[in-house]
Amino acid sequence: MATLLKLIPHLFAWFGIVLIMLRGFSGRRSSVMLAGMIGFVIGVTGTFILFRSYPGSVTFGVVKSVLGMSFILLWGCSVVAIYRSTDRAKVMSWGKRLIKTPSTAIIASCLAGVGAGAVCTCRLSAATTDGVAMASVLLLLAAGAVAYIALAFEKRMPEAFKVSPAGMLAIVTALLLFSASSILRLDLFSPLSMKVMKGVHDFVHQFMESILIPDHLFVRSYIWKTIGLLFSKEVGFWGGMVIWFTPAILIVLAIQFERLPAVAHIRQGAQRRRVLVDAIRARRYRALIPVFALLLLAAATYQSCFPSVEYWDPKPLPVTAGSSGEIIIPKKGEINLEDGKLHKYIFRQGVKEARFFVLMTPAGELTVDLDACAICKPDGYGQAEGSVICYYCKTLIPLETVGKPGGCNPVPIPFTENGDSVVVDGLTLINSWSATVQATARVKEGGK
Amino acid sequence: MAELIIETTNLTRNYGDICALKPLDLQVPEGEWLTVMGHSGSGKSTLMNLVGGLDRPSAGSLQVGGKDLLAFTEDGLARFRREFVGIIFQQHHLVPYLTAVENVMLAQYFHSVPDEAEARSSLERVGLGHRLKNRPGELSGGEQQRVCIARAIINSPKLLLGDEPTGNLDQKSTLMVMELLKELRAEEKFTVIMVTHNQEVAAWGDRTIYLNDGMLVREESRLKVAEV
Amino acid sequence: MLFRILKNSFLKRPKAIFLIFLSIVMGSAVATAFLGIAGEISHKMALELRSYGANILIEPSAAEGGGFLRDEDLPKIKTVFWKYNITGFTPYLFGIAEFSAGGRKERGVVSGTWFTKQLEIPGEDVSILGIKGIAPWWEVQGRWPEDADEAMIGAALAKRLHIAPGGEVTAHVRVGMQKFRIVGVVTTGGYEEEQLFAPLVTVQSLLQQQGKVSRVQVSALTVPMDDFGKKDPATMTKEEYEKWYCTAYVTSVAKNVEEVMAGSRAKPIWQIASAEGALLKKLNSVMLLLTILALGASATAVSTSLMASMAERSPEIALMKAVGADRFQISAIFIGETLIISLAGGVVGYLLGNQLAEIISRTVFNSTIASPLWLFPTAIISALVVSIAGSITPLRRALLIEPVTVLKG
Repeated sequence: MATLLKLIPHLFAWFGIVLIMLRGFSGRRSSVMLAGMIGFVIGVTGTFILFRSYPGSVTFGVVKSVLGMSFILLWGCSVVAIYRSTDRAKVMSWGKRLIKTPSTAIIASCLAGVGAGAVCTCRLSAATTDGVAMASVLLLLAAGAVAYIALAFEKRMPEAFKVSPAGMLAIVTALLLFSASSILRLDLFSPLSMKVMKGVHDFVHQFMESILIPDHLFVRSYIWKTIGLLFSKEVGFWGGMVIWFTPAILIVLAIQFERLPAVAHIRQGAQRRRVLVDAIRARRYRALIPVFALLLLAAATYQSCFPSVEYWDPKPLPVTAGSSGEIIIPKKGEINLEDGKLHKYIFRQGVKEARFFVLMTPAGELTVDLDACAICKPDGYGQAEGSVICYYCKTLIPLETVGKPGGCNPVPIPFTENGDSVVVDGLTLINSWSATVQATARVKEGGK
Repeated sequence: MAELIIETTNLTRNYGDICALKPLDLQVPEGEWLTVMGHSGSGKSTLMNLVGGLDRPSAGSLQVGGKDLLAFTEDGLARFRREFVGIIFQQHHLVPYLTAVENVMLAQYFHSVPDEAEARSSLERVGLGHRLKNRPGELSGGEQQRVCIARAIINSPKLLLGDEPTGNLDQKSTLMVMELLKELRAEEKFTVIMVTHNQEVAAWGDRTIYLNDGMLVREESRLKVAEV
Repeated sequence: MLFRILKNSFLKRPKAIFLIFLSIVMGSAVATAFLGIAGEISHKMALELRSYGANILIEPSAAEGGGFLRDEDLPKIKTVFWKYNITGFTPYLFGIAEFSAGGRKERGVVSGTWFTKQLEIPGEDVSILGIKGIAPWWEVQGRWPEDADEAMIGAALAKRLHIAPGGEVTAHVRVGMQKFRIVGVVTTGGYEEEQLFAPLVTVQSLLQQQGKVSRVQVSALTVPMDDFGKKDPATMTKEEYEKWYCTAYVTSVAKNVEEVMAGSRAKPIWQIASAEGALLKKLNSVMLLLTILALGASATAVSTSLMASMAERSPEIALMKAVGADRFQISAIFIGETLIISLAGGVVGYLLGNQLAEIISRTVFNSTIASPLWLFPTAIISALVVSIAGSITPLRRALLIEPVTVLKG
């Protein structure tokens, strides 16, 4: 239920996408609805299957590239739109005809559905590890309901509200990016600004090399300070901003540059002015959508710069010991132990159970620890940026020191690495859990 | 007979206990020049305001240009005024800090978009081509009234209302303004309703009605006389 | 056209416009100044309570007044129960010295410390300690000292000695003298600007205080103080004490550290500042209240002068209505007018308010103020809020004007 609540912003984005698509391809309500829904189902099931068959990073990579493609498409369209607005290219009219064909409407709404579905599924699997299938079904139902509400809403909207094709693309892309920005691993803005920063950096170095100046010897230090500005984080941020917002701004400008109707033939002044003002107003209405897209993109940037901190706290996976009493956890496979995240497991032996986790420290060493420390009630740990937090005493423990005993640090467990798996002795685990928990049991009773 | 542009039945307007306009039935065919005469306080300004959409009746029905003015909201009435009616005031009522041409453009702006060239040519048409950039304070009464006329007709209204347009003018200016109105009417074919005290001014119209104490007391038609 | 109307109406009524402008300037200047000072105060408080930076101070205990700590105890700090929460510490040894450079002589404090020191403790990981980690906000012009005879000088002292990185300073103390090469000038915003920082070992031998340390600053990752943490450990039940001890409150970490340093007393730094902090907090709320009052007053002033000009302009409004302006168009003219004035007023108010904040903080608080970036939008927004709040009633009055009653004849 809680995960469904987290989906609400994404469903809102889906609502917006359906609404805009219906209005943008006006007169093709049923085919747009159908294609959009089919696209959504394809997006959800496709991502679901990807998650099942490949590690998470691959799936996130795929979804991210899809989003990136839509952004590049938006760039292309915005450039075309601004070019057309200068009234120079009559050849481009085939594009206009293409947009009017029914197949374009179907393909576009299907693609938008795929994107929205994929992002929603990524959200689901980022939030939970099991029960994704069940949640996906619920998601599909919710998405269907939302789409129908959008359809009903669209029928009641005033006729004057019109969407230009470029505006439609802008808002759909913006909604998708906004929806993706709340998932850290799908966020596009921060990698974009990183790329810009690296690009500038490489360019400066290459430039220096190409004019055969060994840069650090000949250039004075204060000049380096100035050049150094180019390498700073700000350049990446502002450069990223420019790339991020330009297409939507171009589309707004293209709409503003659209020619007004020729009115010279209308003899009566009042009538002439009325035609003009109607055209201006219609243009303003059309610009509304890309302006809204700009706002959404800004919101996405904000979410990317100030991500809402959530403790990474996976549900413990049950594990069993082999005949020799050893628990073997593969390093790769469904779960990648070396991704720097907390991976929790629960081991049961008879009535006894022990909770532990495996984590790769920033130093690159694997460590296995109890999900409890030597002093606190065993409430367990969650992972935040650069540290883990003890839920009981809220103490932050730097990731570097996880795996070392003492303080409120999680109690380390001896383990061996056997090729591509981690081996823990089940008995040792149970014993040290019992010892630890017994020592802190007094607190357990006294607590709460 | 031409189509009716104004049609009222039992049109009444009370201000508190005072009855400014007693139930009035009036029909004005399109293109007519109607003069309303009467003493001050006889209800002629009230009739004017009601027809121009500046005021709302207390009772009765009021149809102007086929539209029921009672059904309009405040903003709807504003739209009706800017698209359908042009008004000429006795006191001219020009915005003091705007030039003649800007005063005309103001009406264009509220109607749709300002168009300076059109505003200029309309001032030239009323014979003020040489005083475009003057502010109202620098114009004579007759000139101000001509700016007012230019402003009233800039949006091609169907109905031109004049509330004693010549009340503040001398004989010569009065004659000029009336000539101008007659010319413009011939070109633009709008209906004129004009309130006046002046018998001579009334003679320019097709028909004259006399109000007394909010009641229609007498009606005479120049055309009908001529026809008869 | 809207622009022409606004321009002409500005030019035509400069006095009324100036009055409105003035009240908005006053409002936003006061808001800028007060919020700037309040923000600066919170900023300084936050710096002291910041999780990084030093939050525990170890001094020789009062019983052995004027004593010293021993530097062989220092590595023990990294072995205490809360060792993983101690992210850094740095020792200091202070001495009064006479500095001479280029013929100038000034008195000041010579301070021996660690800049970046690798500490190896058997059985523990190598850790890097020193000022650099504890005071990340120090701004160093030049570089940090590396060799034994290199030193870093506080900005205020450097100014008095007219010295820049690359110069030389000789420190004379009662028992000897030492030449230092200055490699950096440090700006800290505090008393440290009057000091000369040199490696601990060099200062120990200069002062002939081998192996001794005056105080230690410790920076620890702690849990924010809550009501439970403020309780006196002596009055706690056993369970409570357990929880208190195993929670990384700054007090419990301090107690932990104190246990391993012989003859020491460790106090959380916020305790030093807490009396001051409480006062500042009260001051802050007074400032906020004053800001709100000032904004309210200027909104009232705006409202009154707009009301007056509205009465004066009612024929004009009535005429616009008669010509066919709807409510939206009338509002656009008046709101546009106030928005332009308030934007201009906001900018001017911001500039004035900044100066005001500077004067206030110099005369009252005796400290400089760095105007934060968020003050500019705050000034503009407060100006807009003032003008919009002030123009609601006049605008409603304007929309109620009936052309019929105003335009008689």
